[in-house]
Parts: sequence; structure tokens; C-alpha cells
Amino acid sequence: MEILRASPEGSGPSAAQRRAEVRRRKLLMNSEERMNRIVGYGKNDGDGSPARRAVEPRFHLDLERSEPWSSPVSTKRLSPFLSEAGETAERRGPPLPDSRDGLGSTGTTEGDLPGGVRQRARGNVAGDEHTRSPRKGVQKYLSRFDDALKLRSQMASEKTAQESSSDSEELDSFRVFRLIGSAVLALFVRLFVCKYLSIFAPFLTLELAYMGLYKYFPKVEKKAKTTVLTAALLLSGIPAEVISRSMDTYRKMGDVFADLCVYFFTFILSHEVLVLLGSEAP
Amino acid sequence: MAAGYSWFLVLGSVFLCNLVKSLLPSVSTFLSKVLQKDAEQETEMKSEIQEMRKELSSISMKDEFARYARLERKINKMTDKLKTHVKSRTAHQAKIKWIVNIIFYILQAALMISLIWKYYADPVTVVPSKWIAPLERLVAFPSGVAGGVGITCWLIVCNKVVAIILHAVS
Repeated sequence: MEILRASPEGSGPSAAQRRAEVRRRKLLMNSEERMNRIVGYGKNDGDGSPARRAVEPRFHLDLERSEPWSSPVSTKRLSPFLSEAGETAERRGPPLPDSRDGLGSTGTTEGDLPGGVRQRARGNVAGDEHTRSPRKGVQKYLSRFDDALKLRSQMASEKTAQESSSDSEELDSFRVFRLIGSAVLALFVRLFVCKYLSIFAPFLTLELAYMGLYKYFPKVEKKAKTTVLTAALLLSGIPAEVISRSMDTYRKMGDVFADLCVYFFTFILSHEVLVLLGSEAP
Repeated sequence: MAAGYSWFLVLGSVFLCNLVKSLLPSVSTFLSKVLQKDAEQETEMKSEIQEMRKELSSISMKDEFARYARLERKINKMTDKLKTHVKSRTAHQAKIKWIVNIIFYILQAALMISLIWKYYADPVTVVPSKWIAPLERLVAFPSGVAGGVGITCWLIVCNKVVAIILHAVS
């Protein structure tokens, strides 16, 4: 203020005013940057841009180069703004000859604007990347936490549903067909085939036949159960598709194992019954 | 002859274990009902609360506020007491269920271990070894007898088959 009073009326106030404006501009720029960091870059994209453009001219009325200075707050808007900076600076040049003179007097030209913006942009990019990586980590953690809570509630609901209904899977028509087929084959093999070859050969043939017959049976959509294992695998980052395919494979292996158990059990039982009846000596 | 029925003994044991396992929830419920002494108290409290609520609905709050408030406080007190009682009963039931399950699993483990100990060296049944080729060694484990069916293989097979049958029946 004293400097203003002391300086001559013509250039003093304008220089002092200019310095004051430069200071104000820096403060405003920093506050905007800070606000963007707090709020996040997402908010700067859609809604803010027309509002920003409406706000910017207000700042730019008094400030010579506030437009390029205020732009590189978000890196996403850097590239379009870089192209715009030159255009708007050129556009605004003629209507504001005083500011242009001011620019000329301070030794800056419009040609330097993009370069200045670029330098500032680079600095901001480096700074923004540092802030972005911990934010990404926090977001990732929060998303995983949400997934864990959802899985927990899902497991709790499935547990209550399982307690009210039966625990094991329901026997669909194809499964019943498989089990009956295995038992019948075992009986047939005991009566006619076992003397000539191993009992497991017909069983393998049967399983191959089942693989082909599967498509002729109505497909039952089995609801994927969320167990502790599947929840742990999901949270560890394994894709859900991989887990579901693995579970499907294990389910099929379980079906084959069940068929084998029924086949072998029926074979031994029929063998013992025949031995008991004394109809045939091994 | 006795040795010829080993397979049947193992099968019977496995069937019995699975059957008892399926009946465990009803057994634990029965035991908790028998062991719980103050079950009537809960029904009495519930009926008392119901009666007090009926009385409360008949009282006008504006005309007899003091009586209304007193009765409401009584209801709240009784409800809290009932909640505590229900909590303790539920905890008691869960404890009994847990004890019954533990006892069952211990007995089942003892039975299985005794069966394996008994038939460790002897197969439960014997068939010509060429019938079960090329898996005769695996099937005969741990007896090592050619063509024999080992206790472990037979236990696994019986468990699976009995589980399927009981599931289909239930």
C-alpha cells in the first residue's frame, strides 16, 4: 500500500495492481489445485468444464495469463486445453490490447504460452502421479473391502438357506441315470465280462458314453455356492470365471468318482451274493 | 465264514454312522428339551406379556397416563427378561448340539480306527487279481494281498454309496 502511495499515479498503481493481481492469481491457482486434489480428478471432467469455462473468463479479465496458468490442474484436461490455450490466447489478444501490451511489457509473448503451459503441465503430471498412486491403492483396498463384505453377507444368507434345506446337491435326472447305469453295468460285468478282461475297461467306456449323452439331457443350472474357499480365491484376485470353471471341473470329477464307487460297490456286492449263493466259483 | 463277512461288517458300520449323523439334529433338540428345566417359565412370561399388552391397549394414555406409563415399564422389563431367557436357552441348545456332535465324531473316529486296525493286514474280500487290474495294488492297500480289497478302499466306497442312498431316500 505504501509502495502504491509512493509511486507516481500513472505507472505505480498499475504496477502495484499488477503485482497484487499476480499474487492473487497464484493464491487462487493454488487453492484450485488443492480443491481438485481433495475432491478428485473425476469431478473436473464432466460438469466442471463448462462451469470452469464460465469462471475462467472472470479470472482472465484482470489477469494477463491466468487462462494457461489455471488450466493444468487436472492432467486429463491438459491436452485439449493445450490446444485451446494457443487459440484462446490468440482470440483474446485483439479485444484486450492493454493486457497484450502488459504482456509485451513483462517480456512474454503469446508464443511462449504453450511452452509455459507444457512445462507447468509436466510438473503437475509428475506431482499428480504421486498423489494418484496412493489414491489408486486406497480405492483398490476399498473396493476389495466392499467385495469382502458382500461375499460375507452372501455366505451368511447361503448358510441359512442351506441349513433350512438339504446340504448336498440335488440329484438331477442325468446324475440318477449315471448312477443307475453304473450299477447295471457292474452287474452285467460281474455276470458276463469279468472273466475276460479288467472290470475298469467297461467302466471307462461307460464314462465316455456319458460324456456324449450329456447333451441329450436337460441341463440344470447349478447355482454357484459361495463358500469360504471361493470367497478367499475371489479376494485373492483370481478371476471369477477361472474359479467357476475349476469348480465345474471338480464337480465333474466328483461325478466320475461317484460313478466309480457305485460301480465297484455293486460289483463286489454282486460277487459276494453270487459266492454266497454258490452259483459260481471264482 | 466269519472272514467272508468282513465286507458286510464294514458296510454295516458305515451305514450306521451315516444314519446316526443324519439323526443328530433331532437328537440334540430332544436332549436340550429334556435337560432344560425352566422351559415353562418362558411360556408363562410370553403369556403375561401378551395380557399386559392387551391391558395397555385398553388404557387411554391421555386419561390415565401414570398407569399407562407404569404398565409400559412393566412390559419393557418383562420383555427384556424374556429376551435374556431366550438368549440363554439358545446358547444352552447350541452347547448341547456342539457336545452331541463332538461325541458322535469321537465315536465315529474310534470305530473307523478300530476297523482299520482290525483289517489292516487282511482284505475285506478277495477277487481274482486280473479282474481289478491295473489298480490291484491301490485297491488292496494296505493289506498287500493280490486281488484283495483293502479296508481303506472299501471304507471310501461304502461311505460314498451310503451317502448317496441316504440322500436319495431323504
